[in-house]
Amino acid sequence: MVTELNESNFDQFVDSNSLAIIDCWAPWCGPCRRMGPIVEELASDLQGKAGVAKLNTDENQAIAVRFNINAIPTLLVFKDGVLVDTLVGLRPKEDIIAQLGL
Amino acid sequence: MDADVFVIGSGPSGVQAAIHAARKRASVVVAGKPSSSSMSGTEIENYFGSPPRPGDEILAEGIALAKSFGAAFLGQNVVSASAEDGRFRFSMEDGTEVVAKAAVIATGISRKSLGIPGEKDLFGKGVSYCAVCDCNFYRGRKAVVVGNDSEAAVSAELMTRYASETHWVAWDAEAEETLARKAAEAGAVMHASKPKAIEGDGKVERIVLEDGTIIPTDGVFIELGARSSADIAMDLGVMPEMDDSVKVGSDCSTEVPGVFACGDVTGRPWQVAKAVGQGCVAGMSAADYARKAE
Repeated sequence: MVTELNESNFDQFVDSNSLAIIDCWAPWCGPCRRMGPIVEELASDLQGKAGVAKLNTDENQAIAVRFNINAIPTLLVFKDGVLVDTLVGLRPKEDIIAQLGL
Repeated sequence: MDADVFVIGSGPSGVQAAIHAARKRASVVVAGKPSSSSMSGTEIENYFGSPPRPGDEILAEGIALAKSFGAAFLGQNVVSASAEDGRFRFSMEDGTEVVAKAAVIATGISRKSLGIPGEKDLFGKGVSYCAVCDCNFYRGRKAVVVGNDSEAAVSAELMTRYASETHWVAWDAEAEETLARKAAEAGAVMHASKPKAIEGDGKVERIVLEDGTIIPTDGVFIELGARSSADIAMDLGVMPEMDDSVKVGSDCSTEVPGVFACGDVTGRPWQVAKAVGQGCVAGMSAADYARKAE
């Protein structure tokens, strides 16, 4: 299972993973529901290489505002605590891995 | 309204499914507007037994045939769907509810993008294709909904609950009247001109219409056509492929018992002949399933 983040553990997760990938989603979002299983796979494929987690933007609006999220699904990519990439929209796992240069 | 088989889509595949299901004595209800089939407005010149002729003619004859076997055509799109207790429930644009024992997804493929300057570059930076997904990010901001059909009307009404200002751009309005009125009464400002460009520096700042109107906005929600095939599939518990197609077995069944799919929505080739062939199989499979689901 992929870790669910919230306001209280978000920063800690980003800081404790040299590469952190956060799947921003909401329950009523169809494309997000399709992204779910892809992110699960990504998490197991990238075990040891990256920390993969989920963030419900409906319940954590302050974080969504902080990272300027306008559309979901969005993947936020952090390297050493710094936001380096924002991938918007549903996409296959292979595309995500290629985009991350892994 | 109850039905044995509910067919979503009234293109060649849905009509053939209706014909075969009705001939198996299933009660059949068909949703969708024939004019939005990709067969409409084209000349069909590679279809068995038929000299080159307008797609609309073939479609009209097919619908007349299906009706003669007892199929009912609603002429309306599905607004929402759900699956519970082995039954499939559908809401239509005018509020009609249909409960069916089996469902056939014959929606075809939907066009999602406008193809205007700025649209691609500003995707995720204010351009969205899902008002339901992204409305929450526009609290107190300005929003423009683009689209002619009921899906745009529903989206415009939704956005008025979040945005400080909602505009609805529909150049060839064909949304169901009640839904359109709801959006207008909720405060959506109407514009009857085609969008020309979406502009902004790194994020959406304005949309320009062909009549010269410039609407300053934070978001542009593109909601073309009817509820997408992918959304309807998911409503019914079927997970679409990445390209929005629905995977089917040789009997046109999907991963969900009682849900079948046929035609362009199952993937290439997007041909009338293939759509009709699969429609035959899906219609028969759905009628068989409905009979056993008594």
